[in-house]
Amino acid sequence: MRDPADLLDTAPCGFLSFADDGCIKYINQTLLNRLGYNRDEVADHHVEMLFGIGSRIFYQTHFFPLVKLRGRAQEVFMLLRARNGDDVGMLCNAVRREQGNSADTECVFVEVQERKKFEEALLHARQESDRANVALNIRAAEAERASALLQTQAVQLSRQKAELQAFNEELATLNEHLEQQRQVADEANQAKSNFLAVMSHELRTPLNAIGGYVQLLEMEVHGPITGEQREALGRVDRSHRHLLRLINDVLNLSRIEAGRVNYVVERVPLADVSRSVLPMVEPQIAAKELEFHSVLPANIFATADAEKVQQILLNLLTNAIKFTAGHGRIVLEIGRESESQVFLRVSDSGQGIPAAMLEKIFEPFIQVDATKSRTAEGTGLGLAISRDLARGMKGDLAVESVPGVGSRFQLNLPIAK
Amino acid sequence: MSSDIIKRNNVKTFGRGTQPMVFAHGFGCDQNMWRFVTKAFEDDYRIILFDYVGSGNSDLSAYDPDRYSTLQGYADDLLDIIRSLDLTDIIFVGHSVSCMAGVLAANEEPERFENLIMIGPSPRYINDGDYVGGFERKDIDGLFEMMDHNFIGWANFLAPAIIKNPDRPELGAELTESFCSTDPMIARKFAEATFLADNREDLKRVSVPSLVLQCSDDMVAPEQVGEYVSGQLANSTFRKLKATGHCPHMSHPEETVEQIRQYLTATAAA
Repeated sequence: MRDPADLLDTAPCGFLSFADDGCIKYINQTLLNRLGYNRDEVADHHVEMLFGIGSRIFYQTHFFPLVKLRGRAQEVFMLLRARNGDDVGMLCNAVRREQGNSADTECVFVEVQERKKFEEALLHARQESDRANVALNIRAAEAERASALLQTQAVQLSRQKAELQAFNEELATLNEHLEQQRQVADEANQAKSNFLAVMSHELRTPLNAIGGYVQLLEMEVHGPITGEQREALGRVDRSHRHLLRLINDVLNLSRIEAGRVNYVVERVPLADVSRSVLPMVEPQIAAKELEFHSVLPANIFATADAEKVQQILLNLLTNAIKFTAGHGRIVLEIGRESESQVFLRVSDSGQGIPAAMLEKIFEPFIQVDATKSRTAEGTGLGLAISRDLARGMKGDLAVESVPGVGSRFQLNLPIAK
Repeated sequence: MSSDIIKRNNVKTFGRGTQPMVFAHGFGCDQNMWRFVTKAFEDDYRIILFDYVGSGNSDLSAYDPDRYSTLQGYADDLLDIIRSLDLTDIIFVGHSVSCMAGVLAANEEPERFENLIMIGPSPRYINDGDYVGGFERKDIDGLFEMMDHNFIGWANFLAPAIIKNPDRPELGAELTESFCSTDPMIARKFAEATFLADNREDLKRVSVPSLVLQCSDDMVAPEQVGEYVSGQLANSTFRKLKATGHCPHMSHPEETVEQIRQYLTATAAA
């Protein structure tokens, strides 16, 4: 039989025994050889000298409490520190034996080389997979957040879409109603215009007959007439003229509204047009002893129908004369309104128009004061016709007025260069 | 709530006194480590022992990796126990990393504590400029590497075995044999929370009187660190033990008991 101590020294594993205070009691030759120490170098030293720093912490925090509390440790992996500084991975089984007042811990160490490499590869793979998992989790969380956001937005969008659809349907229904109403109104308007056009024409024929026979009577074709009869015939004639004018205006308006007016658009010198109208109103101006001024520069040209412009200007001047008291003042100006428009303006110092009436005066059959219509003769259609004509020429007619101070009507027309 | 925490942290209460003495175990251990010293205080104090979640016989299902990623989580365990038992005039005895858990708890509820007794405290293990903690980062990484190698066997064999065999608790027990912890992955996290912590600023805010017990030749918490801790604390007594190593309450329980007793007598007299 071999000496047991000898046997221990040649055993294919490390053997180490140390006291509770860490003092090394015995170390076998196998472990000494593996770590590169002589027995003298380690005897009675603290066991920590055989450990790397990590192992020392582990020894103090885990290994020692373990063997102290439970009397043994099994398959604990420890890194032992060789003399040359190399770390040697070893698996350790330990048992603590109490002998009287002292206790020794006896450890067997088996080196794990191939296994350690394998474990390191496993550890590395595990760390990689942990890292990948963490990254994956972050991505997944992000994707989840994004998806939740998208879902919320999708829900909102579909709600908005539904709302819009409902709104659209409502609008479509409304539109349909409006379209129907517009058609009804258009048809009614067309019928009215047609009726007026026909009626005016039918009325004019007998009126012309009345006018003709009054003239014949005045000319005493059918025998002499008395002064009183002449006077009566004069009244009939004036009434006939008034009625004729009224019918003409109605006819004009209904033609315009029915879209049956033709515009002969050309380059119109406004000064010339203005001068052509003045003779028609000068007698009335003189009769009321009105002060009249005109500013008519020669270089103002409109793209318009000259005849219609004349008609509008005549209407504006007639109105101004009509509504301006004796010794009042009327001014006619033409000029350039903007890059694209020229204007023709008639100002008066007449009674003016209340603000509430400013737009209404352009409606058919409206005069500011119905009671005054008797003194201010007229059909009440002039401004309606004038504005329609202005708009028919891509221009407009507008008014500004201060009651008691006067009114200013302005016709704007496209410029001609 | 209260009974949940008693179960969660495996809280044990005994002793014939009324003033509570709370013993908090360090990294790598459980409440069993105090069994050599508690006997000496049973007659005069109410002894409270516990395991942090993840250690000893605590409720593993209560483990929350986020909560226990820093020492604050461990301090919160301590505060939960103190509040659920409504303890006051506490004599707190902490070992190693538990000293800092005690510091954090005492800073949060100083009125509940009478003394902090710290065995082998360190507010920071890694050297930092002029500050000597005793370790370089690579040393700590060496510890982590060793723990990783120890838990790989667990992760690849024991963990699945435990999960698949709830009727075989001895599998978990085997693990406890080699780790003093039922879950080496938790132990690994605890190691990170412990050895990468820096609680130097928290020391300055402590108002509770304290005793620092410093071992001779403690490679985990060197003497310089113990002196630093005592120097930073407002009302602190520093005692150096003849005991060597990092666990005097296990290796030299008589001397440890004697020092604690002396300190408590002196503070009671004052």
